[in-house]
Amino acid sequence: MTLRRDDWLDVARKVNWTYRYVDEREVFPEGVSGTPWLPQEAWKEWNEVYRTTYREYVRNQRAKDDALMGARSALSKVGILEQLEPGWVQLVKFHQGTFALSEYAAVVAEQRMARFGRDSAWRTMSTLGALDETRHGQIPLLMGHDMLPFDGNFDWTHKAYHTNEWVIIAARHLFDDMFLAANAVDLAIQLNFVLETGFTNIQFMAMAAMADGASHHLFEKALASIQTDEARHAQIGHPVLRTLIENGDREHAQYLVDKMWWRCWRLFLALTGSAMDYHVPLSVRRRSFKEFMDEWVVDQFMKNIAEFSLERPWFWDLFIEELDYAHHSFQLGLYAYRTTLWFDVAMPDEQERRWLNEKYPSWNETYGPTWDALEHRWQDEGEGSTLAYALPVVCNLCQLPTLFVKPGKNTACTREVGGRKYVFCSEPCRWIFEKEFSRFAGHSSVVDRIVAGATPGNLPDLHQWMGLQAPMETGKDLRRGLDRWRLEPVPKV
Amino acid sequence: MKMPEVVHLFGFMSDDFLGRVVFTPSDQTIGRLAEQLVSWGWHPEVRGRYRVTNEAGNVLDPQLTIAQAGLSSGDLFTVDRG
Repeated sequence: MTLRRDDWLDVARKVNWTYRYVDEREVFPEGVSGTPWLPQEAWKEWNEVYRTTYREYVRNQRAKDDALMGARSALSKVGILEQLEPGWVQLVKFHQGTFALSEYAAVVAEQRMARFGRDSAWRTMSTLGALDETRHGQIPLLMGHDMLPFDGNFDWTHKAYHTNEWVIIAARHLFDDMFLAANAVDLAIQLNFVLETGFTNIQFMAMAAMADGASHHLFEKALASIQTDEARHAQIGHPVLRTLIENGDREHAQYLVDKMWWRCWRLFLALTGSAMDYHVPLSVRRRSFKEFMDEWVVDQFMKNIAEFSLERPWFWDLFIEELDYAHHSFQLGLYAYRTTLWFDVAMPDEQERRWLNEKYPSWNETYGPTWDALEHRWQDEGEGSTLAYALPVVCNLCQLPTLFVKPGKNTACTREVGGRKYVFCSEPCRWIFEKEFSRFAGHSSVVDRIVAGATPGNLPDLHQWMGLQAPMETGKDLRRGLDRWRLEPVPKV
Repeated sequence: MKMPEVVHLFGFMSDDFLGRVVFTPSDQTIGRLAEQLVSWGWHPEVRGRYRVTNEAGNVLDPQLTIAQAGLSSGDLFTVDRG
């Protein structure tokens, strides 16, 4: 007789043994399993809706990979990549470099929960989650490799995380905090609850829709395929959060949610905000980054925190305000410091400016004069005059340049501890830093290192320190910097 | 004679969009500091008076030196026009 799935599944998933020869605290040490340490009894109701078996997982994943590899064979024909819009190509390069190897860090996170999560069903789901994240690292690496003959800078898909490039330092700082240096409870709330149910929708679903419009169908299918995995293992977060709150640690839960919401916002405005509003071809831009954020991220987050009667983060008003300007300021920063990036950056043209002003009614008034000034400088004095002079101030928490300043409103702030001064782009970054001072205080930002003489201050040496081979790999103006030299041998005198 | 200390400050121009690191001798005046920051920004051609404030929002006298105004390495200041 063959047992039906429901007859055996719970027996197999909920294997929470009673330990006789060791103490439960030794099997699940608080430092790695999480705080507060609760006995197994507190976790026994842990459950999630997918309840996937390993057999189902293998069958489903094989079908997904078959579909993706089929699309790759069909869509990787010579000439297809050449038809992509230049801005879109740069967007993909930015995305691949920032995310590909962070997925391997997520493997470590899932594996930590697969060992130290407090319920066996949680550990089962995290085991599958680790396999998911391996796949999410491999897919962009494969796609990046396929794009190498088209654009040599796609080697940054793999290379980026091994460099000191400043965007990557900021991304690593976040993912080290969220993925690599967190216990199982914190991981479930930070990674699964906040990042995966909150923010990945915008990167993987909204961006997939845009990829379809941009005729990059393989990228679209890859993003959508990855998001189906994310939607499943994101379910880890809810029952962990529920258990934490039911057992009296609402304050810790609220802190983790607030902290990671802000940290994720910083990364996503930098990566997705500038990509959606400046690099997606205008012909396929339907909604703005802000509109996507409102619909896909903010609404979902409000429902999630309402489910647990959590408060909105204390910085909510600043976050809502920043939706209107932070990524626009960041785009100016990317443009002005483009020679320190591995992708090209767009200056919006007239049509794009009209679109931006429709979506953000004060855009032209706020940012128009600066883009005008850059345009005039290019015409009058050449490209060099459109590059920023002097180092930007870099935040000691998010590690991003303090580019979120709304003209007329300076949100930056400092803090002195033990004779060392730290600078922050905003109050929330300072608040996180102060809450976990010992965790963050020892790190030196790129600017701290330059000031201390530990990192070169002149651009050619700084390029080398960042792993950028100038001028072959460094970013240019998207429209005026496009030429074929990247694919051609380096000219010799 | 003691050489003035070189300090690094974090300057924000109100019509700019980012903070910039300014290395400057501490005996530089606040007025010159503001001009230096403006000259690095995107609108140096816009002339006029500047109002410099420290992080607490206190207005700094343009005639004072950086040291006299209480600024030292790692402090931030904001420059407003008018």
